[in-house]
Amino acid sequence: MSAIGEFAAIPRRERRAIFRRALVNSIPVLLGYVTMGFAAGVLMAVKGNVPWAPFWSGLCGFAFISGTLSFAIVPAMAGGFTFGSVALLALGINFRYAFYGFSMVGRWRGIPLWQKWLLVHTLADEIYALDVACPLKDPLKNRYYCLWNGTLNALYWCVGTTSGGVAGAALPIPSRGIEFAMVALFLVIFTDQMRDIWRQWRKRHA
Amino acid sequence: MPERLAYLLSVVAIGWAVTFGLRALPFLVFAGRDRELPPWVERLGAVISPVIIAGLVVYSYSGLEWRTAWPYLAGLLTVGLHLWKRNALASIVTGTVVYMLLLGCGCTTRQVNFGAENPAVTVTSAGVLFEDEKVAPKEVPEILDDMGVPRSCVIHILLEPGVRAGTPAFGDAKAVMGCLVQAGYRRSIFVTRRQATSKAVPRRPSAKKRPRQAVQ
Repeated sequence: MSAIGEFAAIPRRERRAIFRRALVNSIPVLLGYVTMGFAAGVLMAVKGNVPWAPFWSGLCGFAFISGTLSFAIVPAMAGGFTFGSVALLALGINFRYAFYGFSMVGRWRGIPLWQKWLLVHTLADEIYALDVACPLKDPLKNRYYCLWNGTLNALYWCVGTTSGGVAGAALPIPSRGIEFAMVALFLVIFTDQMRDIWRQWRKRHA
Repeated sequence: MPERLAYLLSVVAIGWAVTFGLRALPFLVFAGRDRELPPWVERLGAVISPVIIAGLVVYSYSGLEWRTAWPYLAGLLTVGLHLWKRNALASIVTGTVVYMLLLGCGCTTRQVNFGAENPAVTVTSAGVLFEDEKVAPKEVPEILDDMGVPRSCVIHILLEPGVRAGTPAFGDAKAVMGCLVQAGYRRSIFVTRRQATSKAVPRRPSAKKRPRQAVQ
């Protein structure tokens, strides 16, 4: 692992330790991302009606780093959507991402553009949660951790979506009804949100 | 194909642009200043997100067999399991598998004839019919897909008397075939009532063979 630019200021051993910490912390996300990504890839292969399904599922995974959109884009890929409705779909689904950056603005100010780009590009739910939870106080080390955290988890997601595309295109996976996976994902997100609201409401009225 | 490729690339590009734009928004808004998120924005976000997701749930149900009870049963199971176990992956996988099993046991399969004798897809001068129900041309492949009709199936499109080349209804017929091809149903053919009811279509020497015979 060669140091990139300013990170050379962190001793090599410590850099390794930060990387290892990011790797260990990302293991729960690894399990979730690979399996969910796999499901999204299968859906793309069997319902997206695209040539070279692994390419498209992998590209969508890489471009969005967003589980929900990777599922929801499948009907749009199959055809018949206007570009406006695709934009509206993405806007609705990922609206919450607009709120994640606010707590990071101060932390990631004045950093090199490629780092900002990478950190913002990978600002998905789980990655954001791990970024926020990072215990490293030193800004440089913190950022080093966040960069690895984003890279590793995005990689898991891409591996999941691409392998799902391969499996969906190659194996005779029964596809009838598989589109329920997306609805189930929305239902689960909604249930979590309702649970949060309920908990806050109870706290306020306790 | 290039048109399809351009469409797919555009869809991905739009999805990326919107997602990245949303993620980058706070960094653009607060580029120069070090500020806390105004409380009203935070409150707005807390309210808007569940509303959007609820809308998405309703919207995504339209892609399922929403006229039957099965998607709602599977949905209840998913939510119930998630309230109980709080394992997102387990809830999603279980709900999906149960829904697939419910559909697979034939609970919702309608018997539809796609053969030449009595095709389900009919084009009349009044429009396109699917089993006597008026539909738009682009809905036909969606219905077939919902019913689990394989892409390799030959889809007969019955042209009612009076629907022939040059009439406006023939445009509908061509639109149906175009939509079918675009959705991957490449084996659709037009039939007329006489062909559709006859048991055997008399063979005619094909036009292609004649010149070859002449050479021999």
